[in-house]
Amino acid sequence: MGVVPDMQAQGRPLWSSDLVLSLLYKATFLVVLLLVFMPLSALIYGSLRTTAPGQPVGEWTLVNYANLTSSGVLTTIWTTLWIGLAASALCVIIGTALALIVHRTDFRWPRTLTVLIGLAFYFPSFIVAMAWIIIGAPGGIINAILRDGLGLEWIEFDIYNPWGIIYITILHQVPFVYLTIRGPIIHMDATYEEAARTAGATPAKVMRRITLPLLGYSIASSFILVFVLSIEQFAVPALIGIPGQVTMLATQLYLLVRFSPVDYGLAAAIGLALSAITGAAIWAQRRITQAGRLTTVTGKAGRVTPIKLGKWRWAANFFCFGFIALALLLPMAILLYTSVLRWFTANPFNGIYTWRNYIFMWESASTWSSFWNTLLVSGIGAAIGVALGLLCSYFTVRLKPAGHSVLDFITVLPFGVPGIVIGLGLLWAYAYLPIPLYGTLAVIIIAFVTRFLPYAVETVGGQMVQIDRSLEEAAWVAGATRLSAARRIMLPLVAPSVQGAYFLLFMAFFREISAAILLYAADTKIISVSIWAFFEQANWGQASALSVAATLIIFMSLLVIGWLVPAGRRF
Amino acid sequence: MGISIANLVRHYGAVRAIDGVSFDIADGEFVSLLGPSGCGKTTTLRCIAGLEDPTAGSIALDGRIVSAPAQGVLVPTHERQVGMVFQSYAVWPHMTVRENVAFPLTIRGADKARIEQEVQKALGRVSMGHLADRHPSQLSGGQQQRVALARAIVGNPRVLLFDEPLSNLDAKLREEMRGEIRQLQRRLGIAAVYVTHDREEALSMSDRVIVMNDGEIAQIGSPRELYHRPINRFVADFVGKVSFLQLQRRGDAWLIADGTTILTRGEGIESSTALAAIRPENIHLFHSMETQEGKTQLRGRISQAHYLGPYTEYHLEVAGETLRCYAQEDFRIGSEVIVTIVQDHLVILPD
Repeated sequence: MGVVPDMQAQGRPLWSSDLVLSLLYKATFLVVLLLVFMPLSALIYGSLRTTAPGQPVGEWTLVNYANLTSSGVLTTIWTTLWIGLAASALCVIIGTALALIVHRTDFRWPRTLTVLIGLAFYFPSFIVAMAWIIIGAPGGIINAILRDGLGLEWIEFDIYNPWGIIYITILHQVPFVYLTIRGPIIHMDATYEEAARTAGATPAKVMRRITLPLLGYSIASSFILVFVLSIEQFAVPALIGIPGQVTMLATQLYLLVRFSPVDYGLAAAIGLALSAITGAAIWAQRRITQAGRLTTVTGKAGRVTPIKLGKWRWAANFFCFGFIALALLLPMAILLYTSVLRWFTANPFNGIYTWRNYIFMWESASTWSSFWNTLLVSGIGAAIGVALGLLCSYFTVRLKPAGHSVLDFITVLPFGVPGIVIGLGLLWAYAYLPIPLYGTLAVIIIAFVTRFLPYAVETVGGQMVQIDRSLEEAAWVAGATRLSAARRIMLPLVAPSVQGAYFLLFMAFFREISAAILLYAADTKIISVSIWAFFEQANWGQASALSVAATLIIFMSLLVIGWLVPAGRRF
Repeated sequence: MGISIANLVRHYGAVRAIDGVSFDIADGEFVSLLGPSGCGKTTTLRCIAGLEDPTAGSIALDGRIVSAPAQGVLVPTHERQVGMVFQSYAVWPHMTVRENVAFPLTIRGADKARIEQEVQKALGRVSMGHLADRHPSQLSGGQQQRVALARAIVGNPRVLLFDEPLSNLDAKLREEMRGEIRQLQRRLGIAAVYVTHDREEALSMSDRVIVMNDGEIAQIGSPRELYHRPINRFVADFVGKVSFLQLQRRGDAWLIADGTTILTRGEGIESSTALAAIRPENIHLFHSMETQEGKTQLRGRISQAHYLGPYTEYHLEVAGETLRCYAQEDFRIGSEVIVTIVQDHLVILPD
């Protein structure tokens, strides 16, 4: 008949598209299963053993779980919970206030502030913490000013306490709240608020009675996510909490593994307890977003008349830019300052200035190798993570073969597992594996990919569900096999989100410290760990110089991303 | 040979989306599947395309069985050689118009010269030849629709499938496209299945219409048959505006609620009650009685009047029921009128 070659005449190719796809599905399933369940099952195994990983003797025991109820651990759990709750409550209040000022009032610099908050979001928390330790430690800048400048010998300022942890957590997490609440505020249907205004409500009343309640689900979801981020974080409680003897679960786990008395079993049990808390919180957050989706505020986004700041303008400016100063500008200035000092002094007029730290960094082979390692881990790791995320979303969102909901569930699990717990699980798992992975970059890549797989799946899958199913169906009807339709239609259409996910993972891997801190060896140090190590040795100058370099790389990458991925869609 | 469907069944768990549907469509015939949402029309179409797998029954395209679960036959979509136009157009945004239309040929490995020629021909048929190098985002909805159409007809498919292709267009464009689609299909001379919930579309375009309800076929017939001789209340109601009068049997005669006998053609309904279906344009209003052969005359009162331009739609109270009719004359609300219906225009349906 027509120009289309008759398919009946041709034999089926040896490698049919369906066979390739089903093999790919099985491989994806297996890899994800191994990635997620190996550290978790190793951890469960470890929590039931009396000895450290890899040691032949040892027996089954429940004593590690019994030890969870010892007064020491209970205090740690309590500390973790209250610090987490206080930090996330304050984060949500400040972050929502910032977002409302920027998007609901006639605030003058909305774009500038959003860009600065975006930078603060990518500013690594351990670098913020270090800068503030230089400012607020007993031997830091504030005390020097109090003592030498003002002669107030009797006051001593000390950041090493629970509120120090909360303070740094706020500086680091508020941008997250701002960026998650911003979307719902921008996309909220303006007619709800206009209806309230015509009904006679003042702008302030509209805010309280309409805007905030409508944002309820987003705020609640943001609160839980910040809570999870606050209790699973490692760097801030380690840098500030360990000197101040404030122990949170993540740091307790670290201390039990790295310092005597070493107790791997208890560390595993603590890791599982921490995962249970974060896992439950993530579950609650998902329920809330699902419930929220039903009542979600959709509609054409219109512009509501902005609230006039009037005489409060100075207060709004002070609040917004004050936050940026504390979270971004001041820490950066302090790090720059510390990095060019020969010996640390709070008084810039007494300082002896030098490029020594930068020269040392340039000449040090180990620093170069840690930069190189970081680039390898971030570059290759992010590629692996995104490829896996792409496959997972294609199967769970599109093809939905048997067992796809199980795969979906497994890919979400790492959301609930703190980085340091994944590290500990892998430490345990690889002690028993015949392949010598321990102490390699591969194990760090595996840890990072596992930890951030859910982010890759969400980013790619989020765009994939929005691509009309009929685009692929049209290709099947036109004669394309599933595989070639996926390659020629789906892949180009999700390309922007694949690109986005790659950069997201790249940046996350570049900053990540908690999943690596238990896994690195001397020659597999990554940059975050190197900075950490210098700071631990009280080498503030070297740590600052490295931080400045790392921050520069991060901000340059952001610039490149902004240039490569234009805000508008490509099609 | 067209399309031949026998006892098609599609279940989703306990839900019966299609429950035993059979019909044949000849080459060159244009058939619409008409029904409310959830009636199974789209599922039927998707089964023909192979986008959904039937639970039972068989589908043959051009005499070749493409789907028969009982025999374990299931030809995948990409080997069925059908052309399909989707509701959302599904024009690929990352390809130019030319690349979109060429896709069915390139994916099957046709040679370059042939592709170029066929694409030109298909684009010419939908008058889109001058926009071949545009990207879909640079086209209007109507133009994207034409690209989708060209992509569906390129390379001589066995059958053409349409899934509510015009529902996203504005009213004026929709009417224009109806004519074009029909002309194109006539010229190609292949069987076409057209899914729609718009009765005007189905009646104006089709050789035959299949009305579906609840996963089953309610009636198959030409547009005129369906409109003038529906076989049940659902079809009568779905294919056009209609009013119903409740009827009681007395001997050989049918009586309405106030005891008036109405004249019918005596269709073979045996039960003691029935419905009379009357289209609004077949009801004529008069100020006074005038005896005429073969016409039923009833007393009514105007309860509502909606002026619509070419005519006014009146709601009449007749024996406690409401009839709707069109008239060009003016009647005041509340005025008494004589309602006249020709015997041929009164269809008796099972209650």
